[in-house]
Amino acid sequence: MIRARTLTDARQQAHSNAELNWWIFMRISGLVLVFLILGHIYMTFIQVSESDATYIAVVNKLQNPAWKFYDWLILSLSMLHGVNGARYSIEDYVRSRPNRAWVKTIFYTISALIFTLGTIGLFSI
Amino acid sequence: MYRGREGQWAWMLHRLSGLAILAYLLIHVISISLFVFGERAYMAVHTTYELPIFSLGLIAVTAGVVYHSLNGLRIIVMDFTGRGVAYQRQMFYAVLGLTLLATAYTAFVVIGRLIGGEA
Repeated sequence: MIRARTLTDARQQAHSNAELNWWIFMRISGLVLVFLILGHIYMTFIQVSESDATYIAVVNKLQNPAWKFYDWLILSLSMLHGVNGARYSIEDYVRSRPNRAWVKTIFYTISALIFTLGTIGLFSI
Repeated sequence: MYRGREGQWAWMLHRLSGLAILAYLLIHVISISLFVFGERAYMAVHTTYELPIFSLGLIAVTAGVVYHSLNGLRIIVMDFTGRGVAYQRQMFYAVLGLTLLATAYTAFVVIGRLIGGEA
């Protein structure tokens, strides 16, 4: 199957509404993430140096609910966007069905654990 | 062998940069989350990140993110506008040019800081 290039293609190829919804989600979350992540990189890497991200600085920043929300939005959107993107790759390159199931199970579990750790971290301050 | 020219390279780079960014994201979330275990745990890992090699690595991460972002916008333009596909090659070169420009700026700022003795 050739991956859909237009909304009409995607609608025709989608086996289920879920697949079509993921296709649309990738574009909408991508558009939002462009601003969130480039802003994040600019503010935390280009504007200030790596050694400025001390424990105190991180804790101080996260005491502001606006930054907490900004960071959590990045965390959740980029996790969903990234994990779904990796799912496309797994489905394309892991050809054997049982292996694919294993690879996906392990990958989803690790991602869910890291997302949980990140969320607990953000909201524990 | 399939030769899709610019479109094929754009797609391959998009996929590779996406997977690389995801790998970075997972590690980044783990190491930033270490602050829940207190200042010592966080700083133990973080002082290693002050080595110049990690700052240089972040320039590569920035380059990957900028490429993935701009090419993602190119994909959106192709998918949702009627005339987008006709200009996909020109847009690919624009994406490459802007990525190089942004990476050069980042490298200029960060390497300048490293030479100045700041991590």
